[in-house]
Parts: sequence; structure tokens; C-alpha cells
Amino acid sequence: MIAGHKLIAAMRNLRFRNVPPRWLFTLVMSVLLVMLPFALPLDGQPHADWLQFLGRFHPLLVHLPIGMLVLLPVLELAGTTRLALRQAAGFVLLLTLAIGAITLVFGILLAYGSGVMGVTVTRHMWGGIALLVELMLCVAVRPAWASGQLHRIYPSLLALTLLTLTWTAHQGGSLTHGSDYLTRYAPGPLQKLFPSASAASDAAYVGSVYARNIHPILDAKCVSCHGASKEQAGLRLDFYELLMRGGRDGAVVALRNPDQSLLLQRVTLSPSDRHFMPAEGKTPLTTDEIAALRAWILAGASPTAVSIPGIFTARENTELRLQPVGDYSSLMNEIRQMQHSESAKLVAVSATPSDGLILRTNDVASKFDDAQLARFQEFAPFIVEAELGRTAVTDTCFDTLSKFSNLRALHLEGTGVTGRAMAKLSPLAQLSYLNLSGTRVTSDALAPLKGMPNLRHIYLFDTPAEPASTAADRSTQ
Amino acid sequence: MKQHPLCTDCENPATPLDLPIPEGLKRDWTALETRRHFLGRSGKVLGWAALAGLFGELGLRSFANGADSSSVSAEKRNGPGLPHFAPKAKRAIYLFMSGGPPQMDLFDYKPNLASQFNKDMPDSVRGNQQLTGMTAGQAHFPVAPSHWPFGQHGETGAWVSSLLPFTARMIDDLTIIKTTNTDAINHEPAIMLMNTGNMNAGKPCLGAWLAYGLGSMNDNLPTFIVLQTKTNPKENNQPVSARLWSSGFLSSEYAGVGLRSGADPVLYLADPAGVDRTVRREMLDTVEQINRETLAEVGDPETNARIAQYEMAFRMQSSVPELTDLGQEPQSTWDLYGPEARHPGTFAYNCLLARRMAERGVRFTQIYKRGWDVHNDAVGMLPILCRETDRGAYALVTDLKRRGLLDDTLVIWAGEFGRTVYSQGGLTQDNYGRDHHPRCFTTWMAGGGVRPGITYGETDEYSYNVVKDPVHVRDFNATVLHCLGIDHSKFTYKFQGLDQKLTSPVPAHVVEGLLA
Repeated sequence: MIAGHKLIAAMRNLRFRNVPPRWLFTLVMSVLLVMLPFALPLDGQPHADWLQFLGRFHPLLVHLPIGMLVLLPVLELAGTTRLALRQAAGFVLLLTLAIGAITLVFGILLAYGSGVMGVTVTRHMWGGIALLVELMLCVAVRPAWASGQLHRIYPSLLALTLLTLTWTAHQGGSLTHGSDYLTRYAPGPLQKLFPSASAASDAAYVGSVYARNIHPILDAKCVSCHGASKEQAGLRLDFYELLMRGGRDGAVVALRNPDQSLLLQRVTLSPSDRHFMPAEGKTPLTTDEIAALRAWILAGASPTAVSIPGIFTARENTELRLQPVGDYSSLMNEIRQMQHSESAKLVAVSATPSDGLILRTNDVASKFDDAQLARFQEFAPFIVEAELGRTAVTDTCFDTLSKFSNLRALHLEGTGVTGRAMAKLSPLAQLSYLNLSGTRVTSDALAPLKGMPNLRHIYLFDTPAEPASTAADRSTQ
Repeated sequence: MKQHPLCTDCENPATPLDLPIPEGLKRDWTALETRRHFLGRSGKVLGWAALAGLFGELGLRSFANGADSSSVSAEKRNGPGLPHFAPKAKRAIYLFMSGGPPQMDLFDYKPNLASQFNKDMPDSVRGNQQLTGMTAGQAHFPVAPSHWPFGQHGETGAWVSSLLPFTARMIDDLTIIKTTNTDAINHEPAIMLMNTGNMNAGKPCLGAWLAYGLGSMNDNLPTFIVLQTKTNPKENNQPVSARLWSSGFLSSEYAGVGLRSGADPVLYLADPAGVDRTVRREMLDTVEQINRETLAEVGDPETNARIAQYEMAFRMQSSVPELTDLGQEPQSTWDLYGPEARHPGTFAYNCLLARRMAERGVRFTQIYKRGWDVHNDAVGMLPILCRETDRGAYALVTDLKRRGLLDDTLVIWAGEFGRTVYSQGGLTQDNYGRDHHPRCFTTWMAGGGVRPGITYGETDEYSYNVVKDPVHVRDFNATVLHCLGIDHSKFTYKFQGLDQKLTSPVPAHVVEGLLA
């Protein structure tokens, strides 16, 4: 009880005597800011036009406080030697807060007014609110720091503000330019660090006209506004099911009726029409793309159909682009030694080293077993083709093979594999050719391979899955 | 005091400057010896070394290979920086129809010719072409329509003669070229041009180029194997000689190794009684040592080839019996290839052997079938020729396909030229003969690198001239090389002061329309 009284007394002291008014202001404003999204919920409905009119000044204004905020640490650092700069920093901080507040308001008006919603929008909004709160805290603690009382709080607060700024600005950039704007043209190794969301999306319909011809159009031209990060008009076009569900204005695809399909109507309007899509000066669809959409809708907008009249499905598209395997020059000595010895060999696919290596066992086929295969783990990421046909490998070989991350072709014909451990192959995303002819593999053993995106050629001749007798019947019919 | 030029005086050693040599040479020597020159040269050496480092393996590989003698055998395996790009096909099987199959009786369907029966072919079609001595003297050139009906087959609806019922079944897998054309009108120059890219003997053939460029995939078998089909004495067999699988100016290691068509594919392959493997090995080691001494003494690279061939023969002693032992083939094989495949020397047997060699890593297999030279009695001979070859070719492609080998094997079917639409000798209701025709003939490819199910090029109403998309023999060979990952224009070998190529000297190009 006594302790409680003391605490209340301390708080009373805090509130009414020692706390300067700017602290009070900061506290009240922060609470108001955090309430704002609840007062104006992003419900996906557009509101009064004047809200949007003001809101559209948000992207115009936003770069000003960003620039000033970035300038701030420079001024503070330079201020250690030149006092005038430190004084300027205080002014810049105040100005940043003021313009930042206006920007935030405009931003919320934009989101609320246009009826946009989505994960990235929400993140961007909360980022902006956090940023403003942090800026107010900076303003509140800076005088104490400048007068030499508190040494640590203000610099760390400023650092936190800059981090928040980076994150928030990235969310905003993703909204306007698309989430892979920065990484799309990055060099290969860098891209691996940022797995592209759109490349992986809608892998459910691999090989269909939808996957090969339609989805890429939507992905390139529509998904930056009608996708997971930004759901304009409540419409998402990044997955087949969402495309068919439509948006706030109802379904966008009318089966077998392209002229009644909103999707097609909006992209074929006059570009000056305010409903024309893609909006806001983004690249319009080409006539070929429109023709493909029309033909696809006319044919029933199936997600699985593999050929549709009027849509050119180039054979070339079915072939995989070769992925570079990386640098193995440090292993060249070992590879050369192998070529002189009587053993399995690693052979370059071509004169371009990054095309990878072929593991060739013809010379020693009958003597090549799982243990010898395991010795090639060192070269695992560089082997793109493993010629293990007619060797002595067994089901154990899949343990090693699962590490051949760039493997494109796997020959296991005439070996003792039964396919029991076939599931271990599933991480091999590049695998497109698998030869199991003349093995004891059953059709059940193949089930784990169903989900492998690029596996297009599986050979099962003379196996329990495809006995030679039936194959012979078929071929002589 | 003048010293003798060669006097060995330790305090004043003789230098080249003391020698009685021209003053110019002495000046050169002095120039080489200055410190400034030494430093300058060292700088350049460092510069080149840095450049070599910058270019890495890419730019200076060829120099490095030349300098480093230990990489010779690595080069033998990998070829001279080949393949240039990732290939679609690793190996090829070439079914060579020696004699010149008549295109208009097999693939090049000309329904309108029926109404032209026995009418003279218009002179405008032939133009000023020089004919062979066999028909140049003919007063008339009567049109002989094909004796056999054609039908449309497969999803692509390509026309195939009823002579080829089996080929018709796989028509969707084939890339048919109707406009192959050659420069030569007689067998020997034409068959040399088809195989070596030159009508004159002495150039390496396609198989030798591939063996040289791409190397071996199995050290226990030859890289390039030639199989001859037993001749049928009823047929008009033109000679097929080892010139066609010669390595020309390349080392003899790259020449084709012919397997005999009898029961014993390689003579004297088994060790004689009383000689076991160890004794044979010791003998070979000693012979190799003697050969190496000869090489050091004489320096003839052919000695290297001989050493390599002794070693190959030793390894073939175990690999060839395994290759030709068809006992393990399942019944489905015999169902596919037909009963003829059980008899060594038949075309079907050779096709089966070619499939087994493809499995075992033989880079290039060429099967020769003679007898297509139907100057007379075409109606009598063609059914025999087609019966001998049709099923084997179909079985080979189908077998490769179902075993997953067609993805990286290129199968080629071609002769050295086509045949004339006009009859050689008398044309009757029942029979005709056909002369050599270089201006257009039909060939096909299947498998790795080529686009299946297409017919490329068009010929005129008489199957005499190319109307659209000609494919010269050189373009044909350039396309084959492309499928195997080779840029024909960069694949050269310096000989007699020229960068020799399979496709030289007239510029050739890869036929993009044939590619997958």
C-alpha cells in the first residue's frame, strides 16, 4: 500500500511538475495517430473524391521529409566540429516533423479515399505512423542531448528512425513499382537471396495455356496494383481462383464471352478514358496480349487446357533455360586428374564452364556403386547431368543425388533402384529428365514426383510401372 | 694482346662479341643485353601474364593447351574447347542409304504426275543440266510416276509411300527434309561430299570430326563405329570404301572402326590359346615402351595413334563381346525389330547394335546399307530394299524413344543423292528405272536438336528442282554439327596452311527451320 502511494505520488510529480509541455504533446499526438487507422478503416471502398485529390499529393510530398531526415545525421555529425550546423540540425528536425505530419495525413487520405487495401498498404501506413511518433520523440529528447545531459538516447532514437524510414520507404516503393522492382534485374547470385514471389506464384497449373500465356500477361501488367501487396478495387489477379472470383464490381471474366468480361473491357477502352487499365500511365497491353486474353476467355478460361486455338504456344517455351551453376575452377585439378584415371569422370557440358558438368560412368559402369557416387558430393552443385545408367547404384543413391541441386537430367536406367526413396529427389527444382527404364520402379513409387515443376520427361519402359509387353503392343499398333 | 676467340681464360672469358661474326649480329646481341631492355621485356611479360589472368580459361585456353603437353589426353577426351555451346544431342546414328533412294517413290508425293505418265518432261525443268552418261544419250525423258500409292500418316498428316509402312508409324517423330541437294551427280564424288564435305578424298568424315572434336564417352569402345549391312546380290551395290570413314588429315585415332557383319564382329579378338590377360598386358606394355622410344626418336604423331589403338584393342577384347551379346535382350526387342534382327549383318541387327552402342556411349555410329542404285527394275527392287530397311529404322527410333535415349541422340537417314523423275531406259506400265539426281532428294533426321513432325522445303511438280528452302549438303552437315553443340564455322583444323572445316570452302549455314 505504501509503495502504491509512493508510485502515485511519483507519477503526479512526473505529470504536473517536471514534464515539459512537449512531452505531453508527444504523448497525446501519438495516441491520436495510433487511433487514426481505427477511425478511418481501409475497407476497400472508395470515399469522397476530394479525399483522393488531396491524397494524390502524398507521393509528391513524401520525398521532401525523406531527404531531410537523411540529411539530419549528417548535420549532427558535422555539428561536432561546426556549431552552426548543429543548430541547423534542430531546425531541420522540426521541419521534418511538420512536413512529415502533412505527408502522413495525405497518405491516409489517399488510401482511405481510393479504397485501396492489401498487406503492403497496411505495412506502409503503420510504418508512416511509427516514423512520425519516432520523430516526435526525437524532438522531445534532443534538447537534453544538445545540452550534454543524455548522451545515448537521441542518437539511438535517430538510428531507429532511419531504419524505420528505410523499411517504410521500401513498402511504398513496392506499392508504386511492384515488389520485385529492385531485384528484377539483379545479377544471378544476388537474385537467389531474394526469391521472387511472382515467379513462384500459381505453380499449380504448370504447362497449361493459362500458366504459359495468360498468367505472365497479368503478372507483368496488372498484378502490381491487383495483387497481394495492393488490392485495388478488391481485385486480385495473381492467382487463377482470385481472378475468377473478381473484385468489388463483380466477376471480371464472363466465360466464353470476352466482350462481356470486365477484364477485357477495361484494357480495350480508349486510353484517355478514366476507367482505362492499366491506370496511371503504366504500360498498356499489346494487341497480341489482348488477343491471347480474348481467345482464352472465348475457349472457357480453363486453367488447365494445354492448347487453345488462336494462342501460339511456342515449343521453345517448354525447354528450360539453363541455369548457371557457379564457379568450380578451384576444383579443376581434381576434375582433370579424374580424366586421366580409370574411374567415373566429370565432363564439361560445353566450353562455357557455368553450363555445368556431366557425371559420366560409362567406363566403369558395372563397378560404380553408391559409395563411389557419394564421393562426388564435393561437386554436387555443379553436376547438371548424372549418367548412372547400368551402374551398381541402389536406392541409397538418392541420398547423394538429393544434394545435386542443379541436376537437370538423371539416368538410372538398368539399375537396381526400386524408387522407394524417390521423394528425396523432390528438392531438385531443375530436374527435367528422369530415366528409370529397365528398373523395378512401380507407379506408386512415382507419386512423390508429381509436384516437381520442371520434370517433363520420365521414362519407365520395361518397369512394373510400364511393362515391356504393353509398350510393345502399343508401339506395333 | 689479341686473344684467341675460343681461349678459355677465366679472368677474361670469351663473349659472343669476340667471335668472328658480322657486326650486325653483335649489335643485336648488345641490344638484348642492356639492363633497360631486360626491364622492358620483363614488364611486357608481366603484362601478358596479367592479361592471361584476366582472360582466364576463356581467352587463352588454346595457347595453354598448346604449351602444356600433359593436357593432350584431356584434350583428346574433351576436344579442342568443345562443344561450343550446350548441345541437344550427345551422340548421333547415321543410317546411310548408299546408291541414292528415289525421293518420289518414298516421301516426295507428286500426285499430279499420274496424268503425265510417259509424257516427256519439259526441257525447261531440266534446263541446261548435264546428265550422267547413262541417260545423256536418251532421246526422250518420259515421266515415270511412282508405282506405289501414298497415304497421310500421323497427326501431322505427312505423305508417305506404302513402301514404308513402318516409317509411316513414326512420321510424327521425324524431321523430313525434301530439299537436300548436292553438287555431284555420280556415286563416289557424291558420297564423299556427303560424308566429308568434299568430293575429293583425303578429308576427314563427319564421324572423324566428331571423334576429334567431342572425344570419347567410353574408353572401352571406339568413339566412331561403322557397321556395314550384308549386301544382297540381287541389288545394284555400289562400292563403299574405308575412305568414307577416314580421318583424313586428323590423327588416325579418329577414323571409324568397322565392325564386320559376320558372327565375329572383330577378327582375332579372343586371346590365342595359352595366352592369358596378364601375358597379353605385359606384351602390350613392352610394345608401348618400344613405341614410345620410336616416338622420341622419330617424332611421328602416328606412333601415338598406334599406341592408342593397341590399348583400345585390349579393352575391346572384353567390351565388344558384351556389346554384341544379344542374349539379354527382352522379347519386346525382338517384337519391335522383327525376326531379321537375330541375324548378324542384317540392317535390323545393325540398328539394334546401334541402340546398344548408344547406351554404352559410342559417340557416332554409321550404318551403311547398299543397293539403292535402281537404274532399272525399280518396281522389282524397291520393295526388297524397303523391306530390308523400313522396320529397322522404325525400330531404332522407337526403341531410342521409349528408352529415353532419343532426347539426346540424333538419328539421320540419308543417301548421297536422289533419283530422276524420268525413266532411265524403257518405261512400261509395270516398270521403270531412275537415274542419279543431285538437285533435290529427301532425307530425315530425328531426335536431339531437330524439330519433330515437320516437313521442310518444297520441290517442283516433277520433284526435280527446289522451289523453297534448299538445304545443301554443307548446310545439312552444319545443322548436324549444331545439334551436337558445335559451331561449324569455328570448328577448324589447320592443315596445308588452311583452317580446314567439314563445311568448307563455300560458306554454309545452319538451317534454323529444322531446329527444335
